[in-house]
Amino acid sequence: MNNFRLTSFLTSNIDIDKNNLESMVSQCKTKFVKKGEYLLKEGEKCKHSFFVEHGLLRQYALDDKGKEHILQFAPENWIVTDRESVYFDQPSAYYIQALENTNTILFEESLILHLSKQDPLFLEFNNKLLHNHIRQLQRRITLLISATAEERYLDFVRLYPDLLLRVPQWQIASYLGITAESLSRVRKELATKS
Amino acid sequence: MKTREVELVVGPREPHYVGDGFRVHNFIPSAYRLDMQRMNPVIMMDYNSKFNFPPSVRPKGVGVHPHRGFETVTIAYKGKIEHHDSSGGGGIIGEGDVQWMTAAGGVLHKEFHESEWSKKGGEFQMVQLWINLPAKDKMSKPKYQSIANDKINRFNLADDKGEIEIIAGEYQGIKGSATTFTPLHLFNAKLKEGGLATFSFPTNFNTALLVIEGNVVVNGENKVPTDNFVLMANDGETFTVSADEDSIVLVLSGEPIDEPIAAHGPFVMNTRAEIAQAFEDFNHGKFGFLED
Repeated sequence: MNNFRLTSFLTSNIDIDKNNLESMVSQCKTKFVKKGEYLLKEGEKCKHSFFVEHGLLRQYALDDKGKEHILQFAPENWIVTDRESVYFDQPSAYYIQALENTNTILFEESLILHLSKQDPLFLEFNNKLLHNHIRQLQRRITLLISATAEERYLDFVRLYPDLLLRVPQWQIASYLGITAESLSRVRKELATKS
Repeated sequence: MKTREVELVVGPREPHYVGDGFRVHNFIPSAYRLDMQRMNPVIMMDYNSKFNFPPSVRPKGVGVHPHRGFETVTIAYKGKIEHHDSSGGGGIIGEGDVQWMTAAGGVLHKEFHESEWSKKGGEFQMVQLWINLPAKDKMSKPKYQSIANDKINRFNLADDKGEIEIIAGEYQGIKGSATTFTPLHLFNAKLKEGGLATFSFPTNFNTALLVIEGNVVVNGENKVPTDNFVLMANDGETFTVSADEDSIVLVLSGEPIDEPIAAHGPFVMNTRAEIAQAFEDFNHGKFGFLED
């Protein structure tokens, strides 16, 4: 498993020795999902956190009218899961779907809990990831309630520099909470300014 | 003149779709031994082998995307392609036409089956090449060369055994219709049954053939069927292509650009930093704007 992105992701974030690293990674499963396939659907119990080795996932919810609302994109080196389902054991309100053919590594929640108890360094690492995630969510909420469409867009391309090439415009608009027309207008205005 | 031998004959790989309108076999850079440097300055070749697209009211194709650092050359053999770009340009590439787009510093463009053609559907066959630019020209101003088939200069083979369309470069003293940034020859050899053409390029020029139609023999001994790619070695200058039946062969030969290549998606630059800059510029609208 030495060639996985996951191992360099871990060693760059945590001071872990080789044996522990190998043992941890060996306890994870890998899964390949084709473009369009799902790792999670609404109503199911989410069992894993998904680390993206290669490819692209998105997490979204459907409203009563059947409209999609994208909460998160997960390209390479990102982790995506439904926290309410995976940790609090509730049926999921989300879909997690592959936007490209995707290789993922599956972290079972029980493994994360086990490693957190066993290894203080892992606990620290997981805390750091969770805090980072919360930080991003706080930032995202602030942008959604207070920022202009252009500010949201500029934050999006800072966070996800290459997604504009990988994701259709309407999905980016959905993530930003604006209409596709507004996104088009923002991009047009930026092009005129530059 | 020393003979240039065949280095490799490559069959078409499993096709994949670019957007929903181009069903292509990629030869460069994904085929074995055909990475970007091996055929530099030809750094990408997608080949839509003959494929029957059913009628579609909504034209199939590929939506707005950027390019920087190279040129795209689209050669239509069957069907029609309509394209638009962020500088307000656009046009239709019909059968036998060539469109040479110098993306250079950056354009956004989109390519679709031409709408009237799309409604009828039919046989579609095309080649798209990416031609590398030297570092000094990578950020130059974008431009187009639209070359209608009847404007392509031709050399007629003796005894009415076919003709060589000279898209770029030079053949038997006849110059190509397109201008290039670095020395590059690009021909369609349209050979009739029994026709033979001789080609000669400097040894260091990276050289390849793609059999678009028919069956040919290279240097009198290497049989190459339709849809196969031939990488010629860099061990000599001269080689011959003869046709067992009426055939069309795309001939490419270019002087390598001796510079590093950093490529990511639709950007081909010299360094990683320049790729990051391309993303930054694209995200911030510096490639202009084009409606989806």
